[in-house]
Amino acid sequence: MADHHVVIDNLVKTYPGAQKPSVDHVSFSLPRGEMLALLGPSGCGKTTILRMIAGLIAPTSGAIRLEGKDVSSIAVYKRNMGMVFQAYALFPHMTVAQNISFGLEMRKVGRAEREERVRKALDLVKLTGLGDRKVSQLSGGQQQRAAIARSLVIEPELLLLDEPLSNLDAKLRDEMRDEIRDIQARTGVTAIFVTHDQDEALSMADRLAVMSAGRLEQVGTPREIFDRPQTEFVASFIGAGTFFEGQVAEPGLAVVEGLKSLRFVGEAPVGSTVKLMIRPHRLVLADSAGQPNSFTGTVEHIVYRGQILTLNIRCGGRLLQADLPTHAGVLPEKGDEVTLAVAAQDVTLVGQVAP
Amino acid sequence: MSAAALPAAETSPANASRGILLMLLLPGLIALVITFLLPLIWLLRASFASSTMGALSGGDWTVQSYSTVLFDPFYWRVAWNTLVLGFNVAIFAVILSYPIALFLARTESRFRGVLTALAVAPLLTSSVVRTYGWMVILGDRGVINSTLQSLSLTGGVIRLTNNSLGATVALIEILMPYAILAMLSGFGRLNTQLEEAAAMLGANRLRVFTRIILPLSAPGVLTAALLVFVLAISSFVTPRLMGGGRVFVLGTEVFNEATVTLNWPLAAALSVMLLILFSSIILLYQRALRALET
Ligand SMILES: Nc1ncnc2c1ncn2[C@@H]1O[C@H](COP(=O)(O)OP(=O)(O)OP(=O)(O)O)[C@@H](O)[C@H]1O
Ligand SMILES: [Mg+2]
Repeated sequence: MADHHVVIDNLVKTYPGAQKPSVDHVSFSLPRGEMLALLGPSGCGKTTILRMIAGLIAPTSGAIRLEGKDVSSIAVYKRNMGMVFQAYALFPHMTVAQNISFGLEMRKVGRAEREERVRKALDLVKLTGLGDRKVSQLSGGQQQRAAIARSLVIEPELLLLDEPLSNLDAKLRDEMRDEIRDIQARTGVTAIFVTHDQDEALSMADRLAVMSAGRLEQVGTPREIFDRPQTEFVASFIGAGTFFEGQVAEPGLAVVEGLKSLRFVGEAPVGSTVKLMIRPHRLVLADSAGQPNSFTGTVEHIVYRGQILTLNIRCGGRLLQADLPTHAGVLPEKGDEVTLAVAAQDVTLVGQVAP
Repeated sequence: MSAAALPAAETSPANASRGILLMLLLPGLIALVITFLLPLIWLLRASFASSTMGALSGGDWTVQSYSTVLFDPFYWRVAWNTLVLGFNVAIFAVILSYPIALFLARTESRFRGVLTALAVAPLLTSSVVRTYGWMVILGDRGVINSTLQSLSLTGGVIRLTNNSLGATVALIEILMPYAILAMLSGFGRLNTQLEEAAAMLGANRLRVFTRIILPLSAPGVLTAALLVFVLAISSFVTPRLMGGGRVFVLGTEVFNEATVTLNWPLAAALSVMLLILFSSIILLYQRALRALET
């Protein structure tokens, strides 16, 4: 961790006049070449973290280290980081090529080399031949690409992207998602991107840092975050799920009110109250009600969604959400009594309630 | 106009809405014709009349006034003085207003509204009053001269009024609020995010200013320069009072011909010259603006 390329160490930001810090002791790190997504609801402090890393605002406390060196005292224009702004911030009085060339000019790169590198950058983002266009003559997606080219051509230590896809329509967003991922992989640049879209984060990033109200909730691979959420916030923010509260009767077994006992994976002291979560797609149709970790209830609501069938099952006074693959044999109908089962490792411990 | 461009729109609802549009425009059009177009036509007509003391003779047409204006070197000098005054005032008013306007446009202070109001508050007083203010400051026995003398820094009086220097100084200050307002409205393309983007790409403060702020604020600066220039070359009160009758510009000459010499056709011809000057400047301005914005 300490020898990681980028290390964010106990970063705090309290805006002047604010009572609570907008970013509260956040630490994470990235090895070289990794793409990390900073994910969280609106106002949780994602942009603030990004701007502190960029040097656009000063942290209240904490350190940002690049290759082990604290960059806090280095001015923005010397940090050598690339930034793609949400609204792109392309210079309207310059052509696309001039925009991309700007960072190279600031670095006093010679004219011939500049032209060569601009051309390569345009190729990289598939804007070949559009260098002479005015920024206003580009479509939204093309502006996005130009902004990426502009921040990559300077070969930054770190690439920062603030909600890079939020200004694009749905179709273009999917396309640019792969595109950005691809460009990042090809250039091998270490990158942090901010988003509040979980799909985007899960599909683009090597790892996710999930935030809530200025605090870091969990850092992990998409899989870890999705399958092993460590807090209730992460579990509910990412993906759907049904939550239960239960008393631990013996290690790995909790008694849930109105249901039978639930087997789960995770450490919790006997007697404590735990929060458990089951993802809808982890539930399967079971034959008999006698199985462990099974629920019997009536189907209250059905939504057919092509590949999956989403069921709401009334079971012991609570509503359970289940996604069944539509090829799973005989499908239940509304009003049917069904029994569903779940494996113990798919019952996730997401938190403990203080006794 | 747009209705005519679209054949499909040539239906009765479109015609009806055009009728309503015309009706809505009518009061304004009538007012414009009465207060602007008719006097302008009358001015043109008057400039071609032969000069009879204090009145306009009837039906005759002559280019006598124009030949006077064009062949008398005095009027050439007046035109030149006017242009020089206009340029000086425009340049200095813009230079002095630019930092203020830039600050007002970029500040995130919550007093921004108050500060903007303060910057343009001088518009609330008449320019006559402010010209008198400048006479008090710059006059032979004014604040500056009496201070310098009581400190024995100068032997005699430094002439700051009754010359074009005084008129220029006073006009600069009087027209600055207009320059600030024009710039503020022309700074729409300025945007802190662009400055941040430039900084992220390695531009220091100076480079951000020369490469981003300056070019993006150029249209506002140009508009302000034009406005101040036009107001300066058409000014009358300030050059008249600050110049003490020794500063001859088109504004003061029109006044002189009309009220002192009572040569109305000549006054009209001079006004037409001034109008031609305006029009050519505005044409130049539009060209420059288009060049800046594309
Ligand atoms: N310049 C500022 N001055 C004071 N408070 C600010 C400032 N910028 C942001 N904040 C506050 O800090 C908190 C975090 O803001 P931030 O912009 O980092 O959120 P975000 O996670 O990027 O949200 P979004 O997804 O909406 O962009 C918010 O509560 C916001 O009100
Ligand atoms: Mg944000």
